[in-house]
Amino acid sequence: MRISWFFGIMTITVMLLQAVMLGAAHAQEFEAPPLVMDIPVMHEEAIAAGIDHSYTGPWEYFVGGGAAGLDCNGDRRTDLFIAGGTSPAALYVNRSQTGGELRFEQVAMDVEPRLLTGVTGAYALDIDNDGHKDLVILRVDRNLLLKGGPDCSFANGSREFSFEGGREWTTAFAATFEKGEDFPSLAFGNYVDRTAPGTPWGTCHDNALFRPIRGGNAAPAYDAPTPLSPGYCTLSMLFTDWGRTGRPDLRMTNDRQYYRGGQEQLWRIEPGSPPRPYRPSEGWRTVKIWGMGIAEADLDADGFPEYALTSMGDTKLQTLDEDAEEGRPVYRDIAFERGATAHRPYTGENTRPSTGWHAEFADFNNDGRLDLFIAKGNVEQMPEFAAFDPDNLLLGAHDGRFVEAGDLAGVALPTKGRGAVIDDFNHDGMLDLLVVNRGGRASLFRNLGGRTPDNPAPVAMGNWLQIELSQIGSNRDAVGARISVKSGNETRVRTIQVGGGHASGRLGFVHVGLGVAERAQIRVQWPDGEWSAPYRVFANQFVHIDRGAASAQYWLPE
Amino acid sequence: MQTEFRFAASIRTVTLALVLQAIGSVMAINGAFGQEADRPWEEPVLAPSQESPVPSGGLDAGRLERLVKRGETLFAARFTRSDGAGRPMATQAIIPTKRRRPPKDEFQRMAGMDANGCISCHNVPAAGGAGDFTANVFVSEGFGNAEFDSIDPQFSNERNTNHLFGAGLIELLAREMTADLQAIRSDAAAAARKQHQTITLPLETKGVSFGSITVKADGMVDLSGLDGVDTDLVVRPFSQKGVITSLRQFTINALNSHHGIQASERFGERWTGQADFDEDGMVDEAGPADISALVAWQATLQPPIIAEPESTAWREAAAAGNAHFSDIGCARCHIPTLPLNSLTFSDPGPLDAAGTLRAGENATPAAYDFSGQEWAKTLQRNEAGAILVPLFGDLKRHRISDQKHSRLGNELLAQRFVERDVFMTAELWGIGSTAPYGHRGDLTSLDEVIRAHGGDASPSARAYEQLPDDARSAIIAFLKTLVIAP
Repeated sequence: MRISWFFGIMTITVMLLQAVMLGAAHAQEFEAPPLVMDIPVMHEEAIAAGIDHSYTGPWEYFVGGGAAGLDCNGDRRTDLFIAGGTSPAALYVNRSQTGGELRFEQVAMDVEPRLLTGVTGAYALDIDNDGHKDLVILRVDRNLLLKGGPDCSFANGSREFSFEGGREWTTAFAATFEKGEDFPSLAFGNYVDRTAPGTPWGTCHDNALFRPIRGGNAAPAYDAPTPLSPGYCTLSMLFTDWGRTGRPDLRMTNDRQYYRGGQEQLWRIEPGSPPRPYRPSEGWRTVKIWGMGIAEADLDADGFPEYALTSMGDTKLQTLDEDAEEGRPVYRDIAFERGATAHRPYTGENTRPSTGWHAEFADFNNDGRLDLFIAKGNVEQMPEFAAFDPDNLLLGAHDGRFVEAGDLAGVALPTKGRGAVIDDFNHDGMLDLLVVNRGGRASLFRNLGGRTPDNPAPVAMGNWLQIELSQIGSNRDAVGARISVKSGNETRVRTIQVGGGHASGRLGFVHVGLGVAERAQIRVQWPDGEWSAPYRVFANQFVHIDRGAASAQYWLPE
Repeated sequence: MQTEFRFAASIRTVTLALVLQAIGSVMAINGAFGQEADRPWEEPVLAPSQESPVPSGGLDAGRLERLVKRGETLFAARFTRSDGAGRPMATQAIIPTKRRRPPKDEFQRMAGMDANGCISCHNVPAAGGAGDFTANVFVSEGFGNAEFDSIDPQFSNERNTNHLFGAGLIELLAREMTADLQAIRSDAAAAARKQHQTITLPLETKGVSFGSITVKADGMVDLSGLDGVDTDLVVRPFSQKGVITSLRQFTINALNSHHGIQASERFGERWTGQADFDEDGMVDEAGPADISALVAWQATLQPPIIAEPESTAWREAAAAGNAHFSDIGCARCHIPTLPLNSLTFSDPGPLDAAGTLRAGENATPAAYDFSGQEWAKTLQRNEAGAILVPLFGDLKRHRISDQKHSRLGNELLAQRFVERDVFMTAELWGIGSTAPYGHRGDLTSLDEVIRAHGGDASPSARAYEQLPDDARSAIIAFLKTLVIAP
């Protein structure tokens, strides 16, 4: 029943998308830059690697389908916790050999099995500063905080953290350490309130911000949520220092499918003050999209990040308007001029609009320019939208535009992508990719190297660095830190964030492609705003930086 | 004095040889690369890269000879606009970097392009050699202040031209030393993980200590014990600072910096999105085959020798000087010989990073065995069968100046992470043929440059100063036997 009205709604959706497709007509005139850069060869090997996992379920699981990447046993390999919807979520421990084929082993979790179903997504975060990464589990029903321990042990920590978990249909999460706080603030984004009169239209749940309250013991208490009202069916959220103030605000992308009078949101998160959304009088412009995922990157290293927002039809790529006055979040869309609209399948005959979910910037070919991955997939069986809707791998071109290479790279599979984790799972310096698919097996791609116009066999690509930050006491993983990597006149910026994507996130080494630079200078702006000394490092190294250390350390994969 | 060498050549002879070589080069190039054989006067020397396959696999003597010949002609060539000479919109930087605007003058002695051919500077005492003070270069990284037109040392480091004789052996030594150091690091990591404790091992290869490496049980490396080598433990043997990994990397850097000729393997479309990065109207200016040829020619240059003077007095003085050289500690860094296990040179080599052709980016690296070179037959071996490379160096960096003796630390700019007063030990082989001396080439005599040593070398230099006149003279006599054979 729910499915039938869902499809009915989609008819309206398509009408609304006509405007989008006008943009697509323009896009036909878009002349993509030539593919002269390395095309990463992504080899799908999920089953061989030991990951046989599907995200399943009815309407509530048309959205979600995320995964968390984290090192849960201290070997610095990224392990995976993957949501399953009505199927059980599962933890896969990374057993890959350095430079070798990907290998994962599913391990049991000491968590009540029923709590591992109904999971829509997950994020990793060291909530209690004990050096073990915890898991924030998003569910249809009560959310969970799983407390991490040694050797990938997890226990239900919701009681210890006084976290009730709510009853909402949760689809988004983000975390930040607010100024002066030892523990993170947790933001949960919720979707449709299925119990409200008139559901599903105009019945979006409020979202909630859980600020830590220090109890009598060392653990924080999260028993006094602040509603973030109105909620507009949020499918992704991200704490972001959009205005270079040192204070992250909370950006949300919302699904216009269900809200009434809603829009995209940016919440002002002033420590100690109630959150409030930015208003039109402050420069915030109304944008209404079928918001599914957020990716952030400072593409031009000017300190003001850009945001990719996935949707049905075209993806937005927003940049702070150059004419915006200080402190005014005025954004304009540059997706078309940058070739990043990704509005319909780029291969096959189908010209129906795409449905985009997880988005993430990463440098898959180590050429020093960020690429944009977008997981794509029909909501379920919506005839107005592309049925074959391959994931995008938009490679960053030399002129600042993006050029599609998903089919050439090997990620254009007939799946329904949702969440994703991008990480170097086998420590060979090249980014691999997990895609969680709705109603089908997850895809796990190993990056074999680059294919060049002269050489069809994959070869070594550009130089790279992977950087791990650490600080003592609170916020050990330096969430919110900004890493600036300078080689010659090029500066590449990364920010350590927990949130965004589509119900998926990772925490661990930060990967930076360097192109032909064989050295780089790293500076870190720690979460409290303090800048580090410059660290001089050579390319193709795993670098560890302890706050205050005079020099960086290298880490050797096993 | 030079006439006393049995092999000494007069300056006039060298000059004539260079002229004949240049003429021969043009003829050889045109013949080798398909230009019309009946038009030997054609000025372009670089063939389009697609006409020249990158050499790969084992090269027999004939293929190597042809490759070396091509490299020789390129090294001696005078590059023209139609070869791609000039870089109106690119700086001298090793990372492709755009100029803000074209330079006023295409040739410019400071920021470059500053030479019409390799041989413009590398010509003392012959092609591939060092250069006089007039052939100094002004080393700037080419990022900020890339367009300087001043010799003010705040903008660049003025450097004298190094010779390249024996460079293939130097690179082979560096590769083996790197492999040793990285193997020690791996051993330390394996032991640390196995024993669950921090492990520190001495970093020593071929008798040269590079400090120590400490690895914790989780694989974290403490780099604070390193001495005289980069943190990735790659021994970079070229340039006075020891910052260049290979002849291939050096060749690509130099072609761009000095001649404005850009190697496609770094400046081409793959990495820059442009086939004509420097916007001089020429695309893919130097293909990988020509880079391979230049590498092969440099790599197979015969190493300098220890000459035996005809004069008995000189022979006796040199022998005594050799002993004094060791006695006062010079040989601790200027180590007379380092053992080399293999004479097989592969190109591309194992250590270059992206932007310099790497193994696997073409079919198979070219491999050639120096054993077939005439000069290789003169190299001595130790008891273990290793070849003794008489470089008089250690391929290690040292601090070379101090408060009292700062002449060799007279630069203002660090270079690629190497502090201003730290330099790689100069290999002394060939020093008898390559005056003037010092990094800037501003010391006219060996006595001056020895006395200029400070920092780590200060004890030896002070000991030299304390020696009697005839002992100091004997050291000079010895050093003057370290020559480049014509």
